[in-house]
Amino acid sequence: MHLKYESQLREPLVYGTKTYHDVTEDIVRPIEAKPSKLWYIGFYIAVALLLFGVYALYRDVTYGIGQWNLNKTIGWGWDITNFVWWVGIGHAGTLISAILLLFRQGWRTGVNRAAEAMTIFAVMCAGQFPIWHMGRVWMAFFVLPYANTRGPLWVNFNSPLLWDVFAISTYFTVSLLFWYSGLLPDLATVRDRAKTKLRKHLYGIASFGWTGSTKHWQRHESLSLVLAGLSTPLVLSVHTIVSFDFATSVIPGWHTTIFPPYFVAGAVFSGFAMVQSLMIIVRKVFGMEDYVTIGHIEAMNKVIVTTGSIVGVAYLTELFMGWYSQSKYEGYTFWYSRANLFSPYGWSYWGMMACNVISPQIFWFKKMRRNLFVTFFMSVIVNIGMWFERFVIIVTSLYRDYLPSSWATYYSPTIWEIGFYLGTFGLFFTCFFLFAKYFPVIAIAEIKYVLKTSGENFKETVGNIETKSVEEFAHEYAH
Amino acid sequence: MSDKKYWQSFGELNNSEAYQQAAKDEFKEQLPFEGTESIMDSKTPRRDFLKYLGFSTAAAALAASCETPVRKAVPFANKPEDVVPGIANYYATTYVQDGEAVSILAKVRDGRPIKIEGNDLSAITKGGTTARVQASVLDLYNTARLRFPTIDGKEVTFEAFDKAVGEAIGTSPVVVLTSSIVSPSTKEVINQFVAKHPGSKHVVYDAVSYSGILQANAATYGKQVIPSYRFDKAKIIVSLGADFLGTWISPAEFTKQYAQGKKINEKHPEMSKHIQFESVASITGSNADEKILHKPSDSGNIAASLLAALSGGAVTITDAAVKKGIEKTAKTLNAHKGEALVVSGSNDVNVQIVVNAINEAIGANGKTIDWSVPYVSYQGVDADFAKLVDEMNAGSVSNLFIYSANPAYTWVDTNKFISGLKKVKTVVSFSGINDETTQLSKYVIPSHHYLESWGDAEIKAGYFSFIQPTINPLFKTRQWQDNLLKWSGATTDYAAFLKTYWIAKLGGEAGWNKTLQDGVVNAAAAETLGTASFNSSAVAGATTAVAAKGKGKYELALYQKISVGATNGASNPWLQELPDPVTKATWDNYLIISPKLAKELLKIDLNDNGQADAYEVNPPKKVVKVTVGGKSITLPALIIPGTHPETVGIALGYGRTDKLGKAVVESGKDAFIFTSLKNNTVSWFADDVQLELTGDLYKVALTQTHGGYDTKQGKRTEVMKELTLDEFKENPKETREDREKELAPFGGLEKFEKEGTIYPYFDKPGIKWGMSIDLNTCTGCSACVVACHAENNVPVVGKPEVLRFHDMHWLRIDRYYSGDMENPNVVFQPMLCQHCDNAPCENVCPVAATNHSSEGLNQMTYNRCIGTRYCANNCPYKVRRFNWADYTGADSFPDNQRDVLNDVVMNMNDDLTRMVLNPDVTVRSRGVIEKCSFCVQRLQEGKLKAKKESRPLQEGDVKSACQQACPTGAIVFGNVNDKHSAISITREENKLRTFYSLEQLHVLPNVNYLVKVRHIDEEHEGAKKEEKEAEKEHA
Repeated sequence: MHLKYESQLREPLVYGTKTYHDVTEDIVRPIEAKPSKLWYIGFYIAVALLLFGVYALYRDVTYGIGQWNLNKTIGWGWDITNFVWWVGIGHAGTLISAILLLFRQGWRTGVNRAAEAMTIFAVMCAGQFPIWHMGRVWMAFFVLPYANTRGPLWVNFNSPLLWDVFAISTYFTVSLLFWYSGLLPDLATVRDRAKTKLRKHLYGIASFGWTGSTKHWQRHESLSLVLAGLSTPLVLSVHTIVSFDFATSVIPGWHTTIFPPYFVAGAVFSGFAMVQSLMIIVRKVFGMEDYVTIGHIEAMNKVIVTTGSIVGVAYLTELFMGWYSQSKYEGYTFWYSRANLFSPYGWSYWGMMACNVISPQIFWFKKMRRNLFVTFFMSVIVNIGMWFERFVIIVTSLYRDYLPSSWATYYSPTIWEIGFYLGTFGLFFTCFFLFAKYFPVIAIAEIKYVLKTSGENFKETVGNIETKSVEEFAHEYAH
Repeated sequence: MSDKKYWQSFGELNNSEAYQQAAKDEFKEQLPFEGTESIMDSKTPRRDFLKYLGFSTAAAALAASCETPVRKAVPFANKPEDVVPGIANYYATTYVQDGEAVSILAKVRDGRPIKIEGNDLSAITKGGTTARVQASVLDLYNTARLRFPTIDGKEVTFEAFDKAVGEAIGTSPVVVLTSSIVSPSTKEVINQFVAKHPGSKHVVYDAVSYSGILQANAATYGKQVIPSYRFDKAKIIVSLGADFLGTWISPAEFTKQYAQGKKINEKHPEMSKHIQFESVASITGSNADEKILHKPSDSGNIAASLLAALSGGAVTITDAAVKKGIEKTAKTLNAHKGEALVVSGSNDVNVQIVVNAINEAIGANGKTIDWSVPYVSYQGVDADFAKLVDEMNAGSVSNLFIYSANPAYTWVDTNKFISGLKKVKTVVSFSGINDETTQLSKYVIPSHHYLESWGDAEIKAGYFSFIQPTINPLFKTRQWQDNLLKWSGATTDYAAFLKTYWIAKLGGEAGWNKTLQDGVVNAAAAETLGTASFNSSAVAGATTAVAAKGKGKYELALYQKISVGATNGASNPWLQELPDPVTKATWDNYLIISPKLAKELLKIDLNDNGQADAYEVNPPKKVVKVTVGGKSITLPALIIPGTHPETVGIALGYGRTDKLGKAVVESGKDAFIFTSLKNNTVSWFADDVQLELTGDLYKVALTQTHGGYDTKQGKRTEVMKELTLDEFKENPKETREDREKELAPFGGLEKFEKEGTIYPYFDKPGIKWGMSIDLNTCTGCSACVVACHAENNVPVVGKPEVLRFHDMHWLRIDRYYSGDMENPNVVFQPMLCQHCDNAPCENVCPVAATNHSSEGLNQMTYNRCIGTRYCANNCPYKVRRFNWADYTGADSFPDNQRDVLNDVVMNMNDDLTRMVLNPDVTVRSRGVIEKCSFCVQRLQEGKLKAKKESRPLQEGDVKSACQQACPTGAIVFGNVNDKHSAISITREENKLRTFYSLEQLHVLPNVNYLVKVRHIDEEHEGAKKEEKEAEKEHA
């Protein structure tokens, strides 16, 4: 039992009178049971989307990027929009597991496993875009700095796109390690409960021979802290670097110093929204309302309203700077191409504003924060809004930049651009469905860890003790 | 405390062996390893891991890699004497098309002509070319060329053909129908043939004739010729609808002359003034200092009024703007007698008679019009051909030989011509392509392309230019003069005939060889221009005759595009994809309408931002049905400022037969149907035009959608700078002051390069390439754009791809409007890679595929490019082009673009068409970025030449393709570090007008522009000044 005292005013993090065994049973049940019909339907839809995406990419490679509607003026469109969107989503997991771990936020335990998994899958999806948006994807290995026979010819360390390569791969590696090391005790639990040889064998391999010895726990704890320490700066750095893709350029609308904090806030914003979307479904489908409580959801909604407002301030700052800088190019991009509802892409800017800034303000109300339906709806809205944000940044900046002669025709995606995006949804959900079926979606060990201090029944017990007078307490414990 | 033993497991309690082992292992120092061997003794030790990884990866890669198809190149068994692989030969020859003749050099690499360059020795064009001349090399490799003689569509041998034609014509008279013949020896050949076949005659028919001028000159000067116009000698140029910079008579020559008057000496800034009266925006009108819009039917009236106004008479025109324009023009002309020139594009004899009278009145005769060297190039008189068509219909023509004329497409009444043609017993076509008339001919014996031919041309009296073959005939074709010679019983072929003809004139074989090498024979330049005596008797009648008014509200003006022209440009993909400098459209013709008419007819108000945006960003344009005299066509409407509000314009030369090649498929509509015979000449306008919205939409492939550089957030003067002559005279430093102001926050003009950045400054020793483009002399003629296409293997992408904004031009002509929406000022800005010294594209490439050379070139390494397009996004000039698909047939997946890309792209990848590719320039594959390289292959060649001769690089060693093609010398290119180079001198001499586009970004471009200066009238000036002052007050 760790030395932590939690106020009785705090909501319990685990509802119900649970014993350690109950926790194990509840969480491992979906893994050991046959998947439901719903799971199969969902899984097949996801696989179908994935296959469509694979086909879209097959065409992309054989035919060329020309099957997309990008053009001589708009060199990036849905591809990089989706990249930034997925990377943004991939921020919540690490934030929850790393930063909240360092800050000793007990409530993270209910959602961290799924959030981390989501992070990894989202980063996997994000990674697809910079790879497949290349004109010659078969030469993609050129971005890796390794000793080669071409000179040796090195990569260009000045390019933000190269920084992306490092940032994303590092982030992915660390997140994966973090997630998997956290899984080990739980996988060992599943292994120990396994009834078939195959299960035992596979989970045995997966759990790396975890025995639950003190030394294992000690190492596990240290590793978690080390990885948390490593991940924390990464949470900030990844999206900062992604924002450099734009901020270091010369294009009005991209060339903005505000981008790093604005992007990080936006990433956390969209990441939490995605966690909400997923957890609300998972807790319902797997009956885990006791572990992912309404309190968790409220806490995340608080993060959403905070980061959403930060993002809103950033938008207004941009507009202000568009005017204050007295740069006609900035002014045109911000005030005409974006803020003017009646300009060709005005709708996307105001779509973004409505989704990201205006609607999340509803979470100032506790009732709304604790309303599942509202939360779910808003989480979807926020992710739509954040997609628009990236679209606005990329497309409305590019399509009318410096030379009016190069102003582009209207850009709208082809089915293959959309197909690629759908394909990443397929990848994401295929992975997530498999994860939900074969891995404990809630960190069993960590729930047990907070059960003693923050579980409902324990809180009651401790609460009973607290209401006792010193005499009563002394009397009781003397025996 | 008790000494109880606490235990965690039974193992610990019993202290079993297994437990002891486990406890020991828990804190193991070394990793457990299989067996007894230590890690370094194992079969695959850790340190060999990379070795094994490398081997297995290499093995897998080897096993998986597939074989690339081998295409064998066969070396010469006997090397031709003059062909050195890798070294280009240049042959002087002449481009001849429909009477237009331009002296050129054909660049031949390994036996293939691949590029056309102007011949500097020509006194007429002085090395100038036009877009069409540049593109003509591609016609040689057109896959749709006729490849063998046919009778009734069946292939026959030359012998069989000769026999069949000989039998068919017997001794009956033959009509030889050609376009204007500029070749004196060919005229001789025709004469011989006509003499052999008694009763025969030669009829000249030009699709776009200058009958009006020819006949007017016959009536007033007694000479049925076109005199030389000297735009270089004119201080005032008034054009009544003549597109002399684009398509009128001799555009390459006129552009060169015109530019001389537009060049500005900064110390004594003077320039010619150009006033254009026109109906539909043309390239000439776009260059004019002042432009007056009128209905085409008023052109005669305007000429007559101008003539009257010159002598103080009243102007009868009611339109206030036109009236004012005429009065002012008359005043200006009167003030510049003897140094003014008036030309008219009308094909009406009476109008041209009035224009002759005007030129007499302003003393142009002998001052700006030279009668001693008339053009020989255009001889066609419409009435002659009309008579022939009547004869054909009457059945009095039994044999018709047709060369370089296509009346079945171009004639006013094609049905009448076709029905007449059916009555002709023997029709022989010598056309090299299967055009509309050839399709109706029983006997077809294709002639050579001019690059395969022998010949000569008398462009102007006494100015000769020669044609010599640059390649063996590709197909079973025979030069048409050979046919005539053969069929008139001659034993020599045309090449020998030509040689004999010229040796007699030039006196000996050596002279002939020298002449062939030079390509031209120029007449001795006379000090003074020739005059002709004017007979004014016809003027009064003409003045009355031109007074007729047009009927109906709307009128239609037919015009030629500088790209496609009226006749055979449509089959040339380079020309089709060349954006029209005025409309920026490719691959189609369309209805040009003014913004005002657009508001009425299309319900599109360009003053409304939302509507303007919607019009600009969406390629589908509203379709209008145009009806004239019961004939109608439907065309998409493009809104082009600078067009008269009640006039619409349609380009000729489109709507061709599919048999001309893939490029013409679904490209535009035939507008020749709207021509008519008026006063015995073909009229290029029609009145009483009905316009009607059909409700359909049609996609027009534009390469530029927005024309203004003024936005609500400010005028983008960093992009484009314009001045009027008076402004420039008043404050020559205005441009420099503007730049100073723009750069003030970053250290000012002088210190900007060093202080505008936080990065260190680098010296730039050795060669540093730079370019200067004079916006004042650039007319937007687009010869450079096609030259760039040819030189750099820039792919053609086809209409569907241009529609998707995938055009690949390395060099484009940006067109900007300023001022009044209905009648704006137009300025052209050639835009190419600026080769920035601090290039934003370079630092963003993750793989360093684009980088800076020590000579200041922003270079592109195609092999290294992975196609992230980041560089294109970050280019403020948007000059980088991405190979979205396999436009060049260079892909690793062969043929994967078939049925996906337009057929014309496949056609450009045909083995025959690929012969035009420049072997010095990499053909880019799909997925890489490309852009202007400053013709790095030419730079390399020039440097090597200097190196071989052990001397430093000199001026003239190196010319970029665009610079070479430019007829005005607006583009100057060279080594900036050489103080004596033309580029250094240009920058030094034009310091006051020099500016760099988007200079404030500190990208440090190596291309500078010289400000456009307009010779606008003082009155306008006054208004503008007030405006400026108001602006200042406002600020």
